[in-house]
Amino acid sequence: MRSNPALGILRDVCAWAIVLLFVFPIFWWILASFKPYTAIFNTTPVYWGFEPTLDNYRVTLGGVSRLSLITDEGAAGTVAGGGSSYYSIPSIIDSVIVALGSTVLAVVLSTLCAYGLSRFRFRGQQNFVFWILSQRMMPPIAIAIPIFFMFRDLGLRDSHLGLILAHTLINLPIAVLLMKSFLDDVPVDLDQQAMIDGANRWQTFWLVVMPLVKGGLAATAVLCFIFSWTEFLLSLQLTTQIRTIPVKISTFVTSTGTEWGFITALGSAALVPSFIFIVLVQKHLVRGLTLGSLKD
Amino acid sequence: MPVIALLLAFGVYPLLYAVWLSLQERSRITRQFEFVGLKQWGIALTDPRTWDSFQVTLTYTLVCLAVQVVLGMAIALLLDTERRGYGLLRSLMILPLVVPPAVTGLMFLLMEDAQFGVLSYYLKQLGIIDPANPLLANNSTALIGVMLADIWQWTPFMVLIFLAGLRALPKEPYEAAAIDGASAIQAFRLITLPLLSRVIAVAVLLRSIDLFRVYDYVYVMTSGGPGTQTETLSFYAGRLFTLANFPYAATLALIVLISLNVMAAVFIKLFKVRF
Repeated sequence: MRSNPALGILRDVCAWAIVLLFVFPIFWWILASFKPYTAIFNTTPVYWGFEPTLDNYRVTLGGVSRLSLITDEGAAGTVAGGGSSYYSIPSIIDSVIVALGSTVLAVVLSTLCAYGLSRFRFRGQQNFVFWILSQRMMPPIAIAIPIFFMFRDLGLRDSHLGLILAHTLINLPIAVLLMKSFLDDVPVDLDQQAMIDGANRWQTFWLVVMPLVKGGLAATAVLCFIFSWTEFLLSLQLTTQIRTIPVKISTFVTSTGTEWGFITALGSAALVPSFIFIVLVQKHLVRGLTLGSLKD
Repeated sequence: MPVIALLLAFGVYPLLYAVWLSLQERSRITRQFEFVGLKQWGIALTDPRTWDSFQVTLTYTLVCLAVQVVLGMAIALLLDTERRGYGLLRSLMILPLVVPPAVTGLMFLLMEDAQFGVLSYYLKQLGIIDPANPLLANNSTALIGVMLADIWQWTPFMVLIFLAGLRALPKEPYEAAAIDGASAIQAFRLITLPLLSRVIAVAVLLRSIDLFRVYDYVYVMTSGGPGTQTETLSFYAGRLFTLANFPYAATLALIVLISLNVMAAVFIKLFKVRF
């Protein structure tokens, strides 16, 4: 490629403009979480010149009641709110339990399954893999209905375990395919070498193959975590007492008004863990998401 | 393998249950399920609302997919360079992916708000939308409003995958092409696209599966409205579920599943995707 400095600058400008356009909604969202109500509800966009406030965070994370804010300062919530609580720490704890639980379960199961798929050839293998993928084609609502009844009979409704199992179920297909593509990158020769040296299949798997796919494992785990962290429909339909963060946020849209300040505050806080994780495993994730289609 | 058995049990049971459910009817009086054979399927196939929502789903899937593939490819090409600062740009680009879809919906709801929305404000300034017709409250534009959220969130996914593909490309064909005097556009069309075809196929497959089942954005942003203008199949099924019409909801969910299976199988045959 000939390098023309003017073209290069044009490219920089375009690239920054496009990326900033994509980042803008998040920026706007976080900005709004620090705004008093009058600045959120302004007919022309407000970028600066407002009094930054932590009120939204104090209510959602600090447990300050919304009412006391109104009486103390008269600042927050000119919109009449519903009777629901805005304190969200219990929701965050629920989300953490469910996300961690389902991530661990999904990663363990999918790794074992993917190892089987990657190392053994059997009849109808392509069909079997397609079948796994087709599990993902189930609309979540199709899973929600049977699970709803299943859990009701098993007494798993409104339990952390129930939601963990449900999220694991949804995560498994993509996790298996991801892990398979990572495991396929490890040459089979290594396995055979280890087996010749007297290791059994389990030792081979645990001591030889696993260390080589650590990065892939991390990427899969992060993907599962983020999915569970952000999942909405199942959490909404299967639980009433346990409220994961996305469901909690949706309860801030009340019949008497939408509490944008609290929504933006909790939403911004919920972004932090996912973003840290995804940046950490970005490289491996990119490799795995192509599901091995990069090989010849 | 015990694990495969477990997956089977986990995956097949809900499916069978849904099939069983779709053959039942919930009695208004006893609230018990009664076997009615294919009645629900008959209702589904003649229900104009099902066909409307099928059409909405298909439009949504195809438009979003086209925009995301083209835009994703363009941005991936733009960012695929060793120039300074592009590593940061690539990291920033994946930010939208970690936002919970329900939150994305709310984000765009706030931005597209008729009075206070920042997006509506600029679109009005540019004269693209008419102040009297808010984006989400208008029959012809509501679906576009929802699609914007999807496109914002998932174009980065395409960029991520295409970038991985672009980085893995061999250098030699481009050097040869440059010597032969091929233009950049020719090089892209004749070298990049064929070499990337498998990556593109996988990306399209994964994305269309998710697009066809869209629920969150619709639920949060429009609840299918105005009227049923933005009601997708998944959302219609979800609405029936909340109305406790479980058998019909299960039938619709199975229709989504069957359509997707057929489309994916055809796609995989057509583009020879292998796993």
